Amino acid sequence: MPKKQGERIELVYGTLDMLVLRTLLWGPTHGHGIAKSIERMSEDALKVDHGSLYPALQRLLQEEWIRAEWGVSENKQRAKYYRLTPAGRRKLVAETSRWERFVKAITGVLRPAEGHER
Amino acid sequence: MSWRREFSKIQRLFRRYESIEDIDEEIRIHLKMEEQANLESGMSPTEAYYGARQRFGNVTIAQERSRAMWRWNSIEMLFQDLRYGLRQLWRNAGFTAAAVLALAFGIGVNTAVLTAYKAMVARPLDARDPGEMVNIALIRGSGTNNFTFSYPDYEAYRDSVHAFTGLIAVSSERMRRSNAGDDVDQGTPGSGSGLGILGLPSSPATNAEFATVVVVSENYFKVLGVAALRGRTFDSIGVPELVTSPSVLISENYWQRRFARDPAILGKTIHLNSTAVTIVGITPHDFVGTGIGVPEFWLPLCLEPLVHADNNWLRDRENQKLRLFGRLLAPGVRISRAEAEVSTIADQLRSLHDPHSDWAKPATALVSPGSPFPLPISMYRGLVLSILLIMAAAGMVLIIACANVACLQLARARSRQAELHTRQSLGASRLRIIRQLLTESVLLGLLAGAVALPFTWALLRMAVILTAEDLPPDVMLVFDVTPNLYIFAFVFAISLVSGILFGLAPAVESSRSALSSAVRGGTSPTRSRRIQDFLIAAQVALALVLMISGSMLIRSSINSLKMETGYDSKHVVDLNVQFPEGSKYTAMRKLALVQELRTRLAALPGVVSITSARAPDDNSFRTVAVPLAEQKLSLQNGPSILHYSYIQPNYFQTLSIPLFVGRSFQAHGSQSEHSVILSESAAKQIWPGQNPTGRSLRLGPIDERLHHQSELLAEGPAYQVIGVAHDTRGVEFDGSDSKQVYLPLPESGLQDHPILIRSQSDPAQVIRMINPMISSIDPDVAVTALTLEEMLRWSTSFISSRLSAAVASTVGLIGLLLASMGIYGTVSYIVVLRTREVGIRMAIGAEKRDILRLILRESSRPVLAGLLAGMALAVGASHLLRSVLYGLRTVDGISFVGVSLLFLAIALIAAYLPSRRAMRVDPMVALRYE
Repeated sequence: MPKKQGERIELVYGTLDMLVLRTLLWGPTHGHGIAKSIERMSEDALKVDHGSLYPALQRLLQEEWIRAEWGVSENKQRAKYYRLTPAGRRKLVAETSRWERFVKAITGVLRPAEGHER
Repeated sequence: MSWRREFSKIQRLFRRYESIEDIDEEIRIHLKMEEQANLESGMSPTEAYYGARQRFGNVTIAQERSRAMWRWNSIEMLFQDLRYGLRQLWRNAGFTAAAVLALAFGIGVNTAVLTAYKAMVARPLDARDPGEMVNIALIRGSGTNNFTFSYPDYEAYRDSVHAFTGLIAVSSERMRRSNAGDDVDQGTPGSGSGLGILGLPSSPATNAEFATVVVVSENYFKVLGVAALRGRTFDSIGVPELVTSPSVLISENYWQRRFARDPAILGKTIHLNSTAVTIVGITPHDFVGTGIGVPEFWLPLCLEPLVHADNNWLRDRENQKLRLFGRLLAPGVRISRAEAEVSTIADQLRSLHDPHSDWAKPATALVSPGSPFPLPISMYRGLVLSILLIMAAAGMVLIIACANVACLQLARARSRQAELHTRQSLGASRLRIIRQLLTESVLLGLLAGAVALPFTWALLRMAVILTAEDLPPDVMLVFDVTPNLYIFAFVFAISLVSGILFGLAPAVESSRSALSSAVRGGTSPTRSRRIQDFLIAAQVALALVLMISGSMLIRSSINSLKMETGYDSKHVVDLNVQFPEGSKYTAMRKLALVQELRTRLAALPGVVSITSARAPDDNSFRTVAVPLAEQKLSLQNGPSILHYSYIQPNYFQTLSIPLFVGRSFQAHGSQSEHSVILSESAAKQIWPGQNPTGRSLRLGPIDERLHHQSELLAEGPAYQVIGVAHDTRGVEFDGSDSKQVYLPLPESGLQDHPILIRSQSDPAQVIRMINPMISSIDPDVAVTALTLEEMLRWSTSFISSRLSAAVASTVGLIGLLLASMGIYGTVSYIVVLRTREVGIRMAIGAEKRDILRLILRESSRPVLAGLLAGMALAVGASHLLRSVLYGLRTVDGISFVGVSLLFLAIALIAAYLPSRRAMRVDPMVALRYE
């Protein structure tokens, strides 16, 4: 079941791209599939309007990190499938390590503060 | 491979567009999938539907944002710039109007000049695929150009040169048309023209009149690829039938003018040189063929012997009257091959001529792209010079216009510094600001182009009307001056380029000053001030050159009409008599007719005297004069080239030419046949500083082809000078035809010369009485009667002098207008910018007078510099102009001083008007303004 609106975390600016690329690492899928994957992976914690996915997809297409192609879904429906390009894969690796450094740094700053409070 | 990469790039571009189109569908599918998933997890259909939409968020925003991702950023920016630019231009309507108008003038003048050049000079032949047509001429080893050929020559080229699919021959003639009285006349053909104003009868009362007839080879229309509007052309009739039943074609223009488009014209018989010919066809409207004017009739060459009553006409190899045009065999055939073939034939033909004549000299062929001009334009040096001068003048107007607008832009950019500064602080990059300013400039250029187009059209219309008024009324010239697609493109190309041209400097300049945060308030950076001064000086200088040249041309054209001609041109009528051709009119009969005419003319009221001679402003022939060897001056001076005229004893008296020394010929042939009278300048050239009377000289032909056989002055007897007459002025600009040698005209030669009639009263009265008189003597004789003044005015050199004066003065006035606008605009901005300074000065006690003086002094500095530079340039320009200036010294004081003073006055007024505003500045307001 989806969580209630208020409990969801707003996405940090620029991270949606990374999430989409990460999703596509498992293989090509369509927009709906990407949305569902993100929900599943974050266990519904991240607040992503499905609609905001589409501008992000266009941006990734322009950067040529992903490629799009019409195909047929598991339910025999026509759908547009997105696939990671080698450049996209490299971008994902770079972004992931950058993100990890970022999280580490933020965590490093935040943890002592928590300690003081206790 | 790189092309492959390029290709995939293009593919990708298309895919992008696809992907934009796909977004809507993709989102629809997404919603459907979510709805299905919801259903599968057990929701009701309504819940599933709304749940999917809730989870998706705003569909429209998602669509728009996705699409916006693909939008070309720069296009969006461009629209933004354009919107902003238009708003700016609209807010500064005064500036916009001035700049657009200035540029439109510049562009308009240039387009008009180019169109006129195309229509008059670089015009192709009036034919299908004119690019295949070529002109044929021969360059003789002696340096003379030969572009007319005899009929036998034409046949030889036509039958032996294989580089052409067709070779045509053409010559234009004036023929007498008798029994013309019964035509339907559509009003007076020359109404509104000079002839009408002078009150001359423009439709002749006699039965005979002249018609322009273009004589063409029978294949003419076929080779040109032009069909008759109605009826047939000569090629479909064939020579045998043309000879047995003589036929002509009439031009549509003449058919309309003279026969009111009477449908019964086909089959009508008319008389050309007393030969009956039948009209079998009508050529299309404005069809000029290989010429530049519409003739009245087109006659086949095979009828020439008939209309000239001379069976030898087409056989005579010396009768070289035909111009030749060829159509190249397909585009593959090179001009060089045609030239080689023509040269070969020319070499064979030259042995058929008298070995002493020019025609026997070796020649090389010159085959050039088809044009009504017989030789390539580059060989007409005078024409090329005037074209270059006019184009230079037009270019100067464009430069003035651009400098003008640059000036305005610069002034405005300075007053916009606050705005630009704000924009920059808000994050606009320097590039973005330059882009914005450039966009505005291009926008201005485009607006100017749009205004320039109708202006150009009007300018050309005006030029055509003026030209038509300056030409004799029976000349039907056709100039296509409607601006076409190319001209349109040209206008816009110029307007865009100049938009960028003048936009660039101010854009860079103002963005630089916008960068320096120190610039605030009203003090101006000296750098841009210097640019502005330079621009103003340049405008003034160029405009002054145009004005001075224009005024010199106007004065020379006035001079050419008013200047002392050396003879009375107003009261003397030149009567040219043309007899019907054929054996019926023998020399005796012609002489008798002329003598009767002279007797009856002499009896007219007001007629004072009558003589027979070519008038000084008629085309004259040249001769070489060599003083006799015993004078020992011949070697030093070489042969002098003089113009000669045969005159009767009362010639000088009839034309009021004073005799200097000696006497005129004696009546009744009591003097020697070998006496001559010289004009003053001729005498000066042959015997400088000496009295020529009593001395002897020999005369010889200079160019055999120009001589009538009866007028050939063979090297023979020596002529003795019996008198010296005052100079008369002819039609040559350099005055070379003032050097005259007069020879006695024997009584038996009267019929070959025009009759000159001097009347006490209005010569128009005499002219009016001439036609009825002629028709009562012999209705088949045609005459033209003009006063000598009119002949002078309609001579080629005078027409060209007047036209160039008209062009130059128009261009000069536009230049003056532009420069004044530039000065006015710039001073206005300077005043606005210095409001604070003026306020401070007035607050500390400056008088209004001081302020005015300050601003006028500053604004007149560049004007004065420009005037000085302009005068220096104008000296150079007048040096170039001297070949078309009539009776003016190279540096014409009145033009130089007068125009410069006028210019200074206008410039001061242009500066004074806005500086008055500075005097009204309230010091308190000005200071608070900061």
